[in-house]
Amino acid sequence: MTAARPDEFVHPALFYRSDAEYLDGLLPFVTEGLAAGQPVAVAVPGPRVRLLRSALGDAAERVHMVDMTVAGRNPGRIIAAVLRHFADPHAGRHVRIVGEPVWPGRSATEYPACAQHEALINAAFAGRDVTIVCPYDTVGLDADVLADARATHPVVWGADGLREASAEYAPDSVVARYNQPLNHHGDAEPHVVTDAAGLPAARRWVADRARALGLAPDRIADLELIATELAANSLVHASTPCELRIWPDGGDVVCEGRDTGRLTDPLAGRRPAEPTALSGRGLLMVNDLAELVRIHTSPRGTTVRAYLRRR
Amino acid sequence: MRSSGLVEDARGLGAHDHLCWRYDEPAELSARVREFLGEGLAMGARVRYVGLAPVQTLAGELHELDGMGEALDRGAAEVSSLTGTYSTGTVVEPAAQVRIYAAATAAALAAGYTGMRVAAEATPLVRTPAQLDAFARYEHLVDRYMARHPFSAMCAYRTGELGDDVIEQLACLHPNTNHDAAGFRLHASAGGEYDASMNGDLDLSNADQFATALDRAELPLRGDELVVDARGLTFIDHRGLLRLREYARRRGVGLVLHVSRPGPARIAEVLGLTDVRVEHRPEHAA
Repeated sequence: MTAARPDEFVHPALFYRSDAEYLDGLLPFVTEGLAAGQPVAVAVPGPRVRLLRSALGDAAERVHMVDMTVAGRNPGRIIAAVLRHFADPHAGRHVRIVGEPVWPGRSATEYPACAQHEALINAAFAGRDVTIVCPYDTVGLDADVLADARATHPVVWGADGLREASAEYAPDSVVARYNQPLNHHGDAEPHVVTDAAGLPAARRWVADRARALGLAPDRIADLELIATELAANSLVHASTPCELRIWPDGGDVVCEGRDTGRLTDPLAGRRPAEPTALSGRGLLMVNDLAELVRIHTSPRGTTVRAYLRRR
Repeated sequence: MRSSGLVEDARGLGAHDHLCWRYDEPAELSARVREFLGEGLAMGARVRYVGLAPVQTLAGELHELDGMGEALDRGAAEVSSLTGTYSTGTVVEPAAQVRIYAAATAAALAAGYTGMRVAAEATPLVRTPAQLDAFARYEHLVDRYMARHPFSAMCAYRTGELGDDVIEQLACLHPNTNHDAAGFRLHASAGGEYDASMNGDLDLSNADQFATALDRAELPLRGDELVVDARGLTFIDHRGLLRLREYARRRGVGLVLHVSRPGPARIAEVLGLTDVRVEHRPEHAA
């Protein structure tokens, strides 16, 4: 393996079959970083946080540890709220992050957003002096998921120190492949917002339905923000009306905004807020407030679905 | 205390209240003026009606009220005609205009009244953009005076003669109004406890009006923080909160919001607004 240039983003997938291989792959990455005085963060599912913490011993105190099933529940918020949130304050230094956004148990609804997230990390960190290692559980995850990991990561790490470039690396095709149509939900009636004057009524419409669906009061406040931002996005960025829909889906309430514009920036809603900007944070807000966000965009229109868990 | 909210008539308002009344027909305005000034008289305030018609006509409108004739005779009630007071196109000087009513309030108190109450036709004073801007600034400045002194007022604006957007720009600077199209209200807080009070919904539909209202209000600063009573704010989007934060930053102070709903704290958290302090307070009795 050749050493990465300082300005080069390094983004390997680590394929592991066991706790032992997990630690073999990650402990040197973490401890070498600490030894070099580099900032190190670990954002992985809770049980893996505990595994790494106990293996690191005292050194764990110098590692920023995050439970990815909480902070990265919605894959759409990981780049801004987890990765750049940690990396940005350390500009000028090499930053090491272990990020595990895909784990067995991610649902079929969540997974396309996970794969797109992994692909978009490459564009989001291009040219930045950061290494993000993404562990993949090869026993618990499907073969399709592992094949996607080879397409979203330019490098694959395996057992016994294996390091190889991925011949299948093609992140843009993963973004495109998981840009899957979100078909009209059967019996959910739309509420159409044609101009900004309709936003307060749309908010009340959404809140009334969410209340009837059993969403907790603080989550209804989140949903009011989400619905307002979805509709405002259509009005401002697409200059088209927005069709809002809301329906229950198992343990979730889903709020959908549909317009006839095209979302051309795949990183929209994934960049951290600029400190001085006065607007343009709509999708970032939606990503942060929802447990999951699914997006489909085409020349015929854009659909954004936000999932909020009922309690 | 002073009330804040939408009203359907001009009754039940207190010694510090400030009402914007949007009306279509003069007869309808007369009825509201009688409600407002009649109750003022009953509260022991000196009352004044500033209208467009000659003073005899204005006095005639009030005469329907029991005891008003006697009140006019002894100076407890006054009428004044705008036609004689302002020439067409007069641009008010906000601070001077407030001083006039402060003097009238002081005189009323010195004469043994409990305060001063005025119902004023203001339509001719906001016809041009320059008039509107100056008068809107005056509306907030006098609102701050009212919050601390026993001066209450009803400001009347006639539709048809004024565009709806013009009346909205004025209504949103009053704690009370019969016209909620702006969707929000920015005004002085009861007793001047806070630097300002905000009520209603703020989103894309009134973002520009909110920015204009903030600029015109020139909120007073008493310390290194702008402390806003936002307990009556039923919704604010990220644009609204960022606008308010920018307003505070431009004036070199931090922003503190007292809220009764979870939204503003969520926005501050999501956008990492570490210079905005959002404190939860129970809903106030508006």
